[in-house]
Parts: sequence; C-alpha cells; structure tokens
Amino acid sequence: MTSNKLLSVSSLKKSFGGLQAVNVDSLEFSENEITSLIGPNGAGKTTFFDLLTKFQNPDQGNIFFEGENVTSFQSYKLARLGMTRTFQLTRVFEKMSVLENMQFSGSSVKNESISRSLIKGKSLNNFEKELEIEVDKILELLNLSHMKYSYARELSGGQKKLLELGRALIRKPKLLLLDEPLAGVNPKLAEEILDIIKNLSIEGINIIMVEHNINAVMKISERVVVMAEGKIIADGEPEAIRNNENVIEAYLGKVNE
Amino acid sequence: MKDYKRYIIAVSLLTVSFLYIFTSNETGVARIFVNLLTFAGIYGLAAIGINVHFGWTGLLNFGHAAFMGIGAYTTILLIPHALGREGVVIETGLPLPLAVIIGMLAAALLGLILGLPTLRLRGDYLAIVTIAAAEIFRLLIRDFEDITGGVYGVIQFSEALQSLRPNFITNLATSIEVSSSQLWVGVITWILIIFTLLFLNRLQKSPWGRALRAVREDEDAVRALGKNAVWLKLQSFMLGASIGGLSGILLAFNYGTLQVSTFVPVLTFYLWAALILGGVGSLAGPALGAVIFWVIISGTDSLAEIFFENANGQQLAGVRFVFVGLLIMFTMIFTPSGILGKKEELLLDIK
Ligand SMILES: Nc1ncnc2c1ncn2[C@@H]1O[C@H](COP(=O)(O)OP(=O)(O)OP(=O)(O)O)[C@@H](O)[C@H]1O
Ligand SMILES: [Mg+2]
Repeated sequence: MTSNKLLSVSSLKKSFGGLQAVNVDSLEFSENEITSLIGPNGAGKTTFFDLLTKFQNPDQGNIFFEGENVTSFQSYKLARLGMTRTFQLTRVFEKMSVLENMQFSGSSVKNESISRSLIKGKSLNNFEKELEIEVDKILELLNLSHMKYSYARELSGGQKKLLELGRALIRKPKLLLLDEPLAGVNPKLAEEILDIIKNLSIEGINIIMVEHNINAVMKISERVVVMAEGKIIADGEPEAIRNNENVIEAYLGKVNE
Repeated sequence: MKDYKRYIIAVSLLTVSFLYIFTSNETGVARIFVNLLTFAGIYGLAAIGINVHFGWTGLLNFGHAAFMGIGAYTTILLIPHALGREGVVIETGLPLPLAVIIGMLAAALLGLILGLPTLRLRGDYLAIVTIAAAEIFRLLIRDFEDITGGVYGVIQFSEALQSLRPNFITNLATSIEVSSSQLWVGVITWILIIFTLLFLNRLQKSPWGRALRAVREDEDAVRALGKNAVWLKLQSFMLGASIGGLSGILLAFNYGTLQVSTFVPVLTFYLWAALILGGVGSLAGPALGAVIFWVIISGTDSLAEIFFENANGQQLAGVRFVFVGLLIMFTMIFTPSGILGKKEELLLDIK
C-alpha cells in the first residue's frame, strides 16, 4: 500500500508487556493542516509520536512519508527527510548556549564532517555566519534574542520549550510534530506560541500537535484526532469532536457501565 | 572559579612540585626531571585520547591500555626488531613514520570494531566491553609468542627512532648527564602533544566538535535533529583510540623494550587519574594532570621516609597511591571539574 498523503500509517501497533499502548488501524495526514492529537493521560499519544519518528520500533505496521515506506528508517534519516519532532519533556542541550543549540540544529551534515571541519577550519565560519543570521531571525520571532549567548540551562521552562521549537524550525521541516508545546507555559506565552504555530502552518509547514489545552486545540486545529487506550476513537473537525459522545466519555470517564 | 585563577593554580602547583623535587634530590635532578617529563608527556597524550572520548563525547572507555598496546605492537613489529629470548631477529621493516601511521590506524580500527556493536547501546556497555577487550588483547599478545615475543617481549627496535636523533640533543643530554635516548623520546613526545592539541583545538571549535558536545548531552535530541549520533560517537572513539595508539608507541620507545605487562588494566586507571586531576573536557588539562601525577610518582620517595625508615619498593608504591588518592579526593572536593576543567563540563553524563 502506498499513499500520496503526507504521512500515513497502517495497522501500527506497539505494546509494553500486556499493555497495548498504540493500536492504530489506519490514519492519514494531509498537507497544509494543523492536526491535533488529544486524549487522556496514558492514551498513547507520545508513544505514537515515538513510533512515527522511529524513536521506538513498532511491533507491526507500516509508516509512509510522502508516499515512501519509511518503516525501516532510522530516526535521524526520517528527520533528514523533513520530519522534525519536539519532546514532551523538553530536551535542549543545557550545557550549550542558545546560539549553539540553534547552530547545531541548523548546520548541514556536510559541514559537520570531521574531514571538512579539519581541512576547512576557519573558512567554515562563513557558513556559520550565514546560519547565525537565520538563527537571529528565529530567536527574534521567539522572543529569545536577549538569551542568545546564555547557556540553555539558564532558560526558564517555557523558554526551553521555545528554544526547542526554534531548534526544530531552523531545520525548515516539512512536518513538525509537537508534543505538548504549551505544557507549563503561561497563558500569554501560550497565545504567542499558538500564533507562531498558526503562522508556520500558513507558511506551508504541516503540523501535528499533541496538546491537553482543549481551548487552544479547538481554536487552532483544522482537524482533531482523539486517542484513548491506544486506539483512535474519534477524528474530525474541532466542532464535531467537541460534541462527540465517545470523546466526552473518554475524557470524563464512563457515566454508567 | 574564573579561568585565569585555574591557570594560576596550575602554575603554582607545578612550581611548588618542581621546587620540591629540586630540593629533595641532591644528585641526578636532571635525570629525574627528564624521566618525569617524558613519562608525563606520554601519559598526558594518552589521557588526551580518553578526553576526546569522555570529555568531548561522554564515552566511557576503560580499556585505553589496549589502544596503546595495539598501536605499540603494530608499529614496533613493522620496523626492524628482535623477539625477546632467542626469538627471531627481523632486520628489515617499514620506515618509522609509515609504521607509526599504521599503528595509529590499527588502534582506530580496534576502536571501530569495539564501537560498532556497543555504541548503539547505553554507555555502560561500552565501559564493560572496553575493560574486557583490553584484557583479551593482553592475553592474546602474551600467548601468540611467535609473533609478539609473548612474555619475553620485543627488543632492539629503538634504533629506528634513535638514529633520527639530532646531535644537539645528544650533546645536551651529555652535558646535563641524562640519557640521550630518553631525552629524545621526551622531546618528540612534547612536540607531538603540541601538534595534537593544535589539531584538537581546531576540531573542538568546529561544527564537528559542537556536534560531539551535543551527543554528549542528549543523543535522542541529536537524532531528532537529523544527525547520526552513532556515527559521531564512532568517529570520536576512533580518533581518541588512535591518539592512544600514538602514546603507546612512544611508551615502547621510552622503555626501549616492548613488554606485554606494560599494558595492564591499571595503566588505564592511571590515565583516568591524570584526566580527572587535570580537568575533564579541557584541552590541556590531561597533560597537566599527567605531570602532576608523575610528580607524585617521582616525588614521594622522600615523603615516604616520613612513614617508613628505608622504605622498600612495595611500601613506596603504597605511599604513592595514597598521595594520588588524596589528591584526587581534594580535587573532587575543592575543584570537582579538575584543575583546568570548566564546572559546566564536569557532570558525568555518560553516553
Ligand atoms: N517505555 C515504556 N515502558 C512501558 N510502558 C510504557 C512505556 N512508554 C509508555 N508506556 C505506557 O504506554 C502508555 C502510553 O503512554 P504515552 O506516554 O504514549 O501516553 P500519552 O498519551 O503521551 O500520555 P500523556 O498525555 O500523559 O503524555 C501508558 O500507559 C504508559 O504507561
Ligand atoms: Mg505524552
């Protein structure tokens, strides 16, 4: 089976011991959409992301990215194809400066080769300078310019989320997978992040986002996919999801057995 | 602690310890110094290799002796040599520079072989595998006596290096009454350290060096950003291994004979001691740490007399390592990142 959708999965399964963490029959994501993935704690959302990005191997099933079967790809290969993720628990390089975090992410694998680093030495600085212009733009966008030379561990929790987002952006991804970008972020900053995400989408970056903040999800998403106990229990436009019985049940618990 | 303060501490430590050696030895001070600085240089170079592994990339290598050993054996067996105790005498061989390069490549190859299966796994696997591999290597060298000389070692290979010794070194050695061959090895060692540090300085500041630091911190994040963390770790592992190989070659020339007993596990742990004293992650730290380590090793004879009258070899060795241990403890308490290390660099995040 192939598909010309951006990303699609078929009978994707992952279990931990007896626990079926992910069990998705078939799911497709099309271009130019913000899709939100919601569901109760432990529903399997992060695990699903891990499978899509190959941070974990599925027990079975296939993953297609731009029509290509990428199930057997390693995570870094997928990232090179244009699929970039962030982590639920922020993972910035704490002992590197904000600038270095960004430069590392943005620099090409070619310039990072040991032979090129040795031979070219200082002349690589030109690439780095160009990169830095790019970095400055993104830091400006994320309100992080004043922290450019600080160690990443000096950032607040919310700022680390922003840095992680920035680090993903500088890679100019086709598909951005965001795992709870608003968690632990104050309402004003959350608004700003939402605006940024919206703009990215307008610029043509496809976004799949896991988020517990329902209001934000409803406001920004074109499509909402609901997961519970590893399965997709609902999938549709925000309005339809809001009134879906199954969803209400999954979130609020069963009213009667 | 500010950087310049670290250098002040380093310089004063060195001054005090050199003065101590000067005052505590009435005769043969020059000989003691040349011996100390040569060994310290060789250990320092080896520790620089571990620093690339651990300080730059977070890789735990407890088998450095094997990289030193394979470098030494490969090179020495490729140049004219004789196997110890009635073994074969081989009078032809490769030119020394070529043999050295092959020796370093052999060390890198061993790094590749050990790294390929383990660097995909968690950091502790590499630690275990390197310890085991170092012992396996040593036992193989011991048992393949026909090729390696076994426990009788390899001899008569020094000429390849000593024939290149310039006259002024010989004259200098004669005038200060030290061994001219050791002085020559010492000079070459410190020249190689300077070259290695220049080379590493270039790499550390490059995008490649930055990528290694990223790997050291969080491999998963590195992967998520499209970088091949395993390959980066392998490269670092091979680079550090080949530096280890080079130091092993120098060690063989310094002893003048190649003995399998040189490459025992404790050698690796001396190197770690030097690295921790000098400062994990800092460029010159390992070399400084090695000098301090060797000052203790050579300077404790007179200190030992405080504890024993006419201390014998065993008692001396004991006292030495009490001092090494104490110094490591004090370093850990007062400047846990080592004398030249940065505080940010220390935290032992192991890949
Ligand atoms: N490595 C693991 N080993 C064992 N069980 C795991 C592992 N990772 C996840 N699980 C289990 O799989 C289920 C799904 O976890 P997952 O992290 O995907 O949930 P989630 O939907 O992201 O939840 P949250 O909203 O709280 O982040 C949970 O029951 C969790 O306990
Ligand atoms: Mg989650």
